[in-house]
Amino acid sequence: MSENARNRLLLALSIVMAAIYLFPLYWMYVTALKSGSEMFATPPSFWPSAAQWSTFAYVWESRNMGRYLWNSTVIAFGAVALIAILGTGCAYVLARYRNIWVDVGLFLILMFQVLPASLMITPIFVGFSQLGLLEYPRLAVILAITAKSMPFFVVLVRATFMAVPMELEEAALVDGNSRIGAFFNIVLPLARNGILVSAILIFMQAFGEFVYSKSMIQDIQFQPASVGLNSFMGPNTSEWNNIMAYATMYVTPILAIFVLLQRRIVSGLTSGALK
Amino acid sequence: MKRLFSSITDGRGFDLVLVGVPFTFLLALSGLPLAYNILMSFQEVDMFSLGSVIRPFVGFKNYVDLLTQPETMSILRNTIVFVVGSITGQFLVGFALALFFWINFPGASWLRGLFLVSWVMPGLVVGAIWNWILSGDFGVLNFLLQQTGLLNGNIFWRSDPNFSLWAVILANIWLGTSFNMILLATGLAAIPADLYEAAEMDGANAWQRFWTITLPMMRSTIGAIIALGLIFTLQQFDLFAAITDGGPNNSSNVAQYWAWDLSFRQYDFGKGATISVIMTVFVMFAATVYVRSTRHEVRG
Repeated sequence: MSENARNRLLLALSIVMAAIYLFPLYWMYVTALKSGSEMFATPPSFWPSAAQWSTFAYVWESRNMGRYLWNSTVIAFGAVALIAILGTGCAYVLARYRNIWVDVGLFLILMFQVLPASLMITPIFVGFSQLGLLEYPRLAVILAITAKSMPFFVVLVRATFMAVPMELEEAALVDGNSRIGAFFNIVLPLARNGILVSAILIFMQAFGEFVYSKSMIQDIQFQPASVGLNSFMGPNTSEWNNIMAYATMYVTPILAIFVLLQRRIVSGLTSGALK
Repeated sequence: MKRLFSSITDGRGFDLVLVGVPFTFLLALSGLPLAYNILMSFQEVDMFSLGSVIRPFVGFKNYVDLLTQPETMSILRNTIVFVVGSITGQFLVGFALALFFWINFPGASWLRGLFLVSWVMPGLVVGAIWNWILSGDFGVLNFLLQQTGLLNGNIFWRSDPNFSLWAVILANIWLGTSFNMILLATGLAAIPADLYEAAEMDGANAWQRFWTITLPMMRSTIGAIIALGLIFTLQQFDLFAAITDGGPNNSSNVAQYWAWDLSFRQYDFGKGATISVIMTVFVMFAATVYVRSTRHEVRG
């Protein structure tokens, strides 16, 4: 077999595998476009006979999705901003030195990273309610997400800082820069891309966060889209086309960002996660 | 004062501030809750005593009560089945895919990256989609299984106690496979190619090369991925909330979901804290295994 034919065969095979793997995603989009009766047809149709685009407008209006998505965005942006401000410097110091204290710090970071949110929510909820923080539910969720996700951000960004040559910073110091000046003028610009990709990853996680929001935000005014989806899916629901339309509108922006930045995200993830 | 300021802008103080503030934050929002959790597991905490720190001290009552509750054993068994089933499935499918995409052909790395969409999607959305796919009467999975002759009647994945846990496991395998694959692919790419050339010259076939080179060289990567899998499956919550809600009759309930359920549905925060303490110990154990298997890389 020639090299060319082999490549084409492998490509076809891998596309088939990707198609099988991504079928659930396809099924979400197809179901969202089906009518109420077509959705329950047997055998199920794999292509909508008459695409119901109006479902999206109906669900957007009736579920008040604008408010949900706005809350998700506020929470995700708040968490990412706080994480980036706190985490970047931490990652820089942990990348710059090698001694026993750095090892201890990394170990602590890892321990904080692995704590499951569904286990931490009990003490966080009780503590926050005693401090009165639950009066500001979105802020409370932002703080909890920051504590949960910052370690992951530090691990990823640290890998980026490791790739910045120390000599550049030393040269800047010799040229009369202070530590702060060298950090902001030399090191940060060089690590900008890595920081940005890690921040986007954190944003996507925070945008879909559920446990903390579900437990701490009682007022529907402040609930994010994940909680909204959860209350849309009652135990005996039959509105699957509407639910899938909701899911589509919720997830498509994230998927678009991911597909656009796929290469960077994947390489950022692999450089950090195993080190 | 001036010296302190100049140390912060241009000396050791700069590092200490950069690392001190985030660690203080983490200790306050993760470390303190951990300690508070342990304290609450020895107290009786309900809606009425929520506001006070001094609550009735009950010793090991919460622990003893939980151990004697009839559902405890089945929930713990479910947790083990969930963890082992999810990790096995994610790892085997992920490894197979990683080995396939290891073959170099144009478009391989881009297509491989595409698989990761399952991992960046919100867990609730993944759960909603699988909930619909797994539906008993109109679910597409039952239809496909019947078409291929694997199944005669409909399986009621979500409401049949024999299958409800497996419904969540199936969704969790789908969710985690891509992450396993990407990390395994990184490990595979790091194996020096000349090892294979040498083995090929010595006449080793593909099967022998896999067992004598690939697997031994991947040992630390595999260890790290299994440990990460354990950490991630013990964090899985959204799929339970979206697919089975732990039911029917606790048949798909696992410890991390139960802890939340005890606190936020039954308002027994003391018992919820107790389960959390026990599970936290397991998670930290897994994290230590993870650190050990990546230790030679930890310092960069």
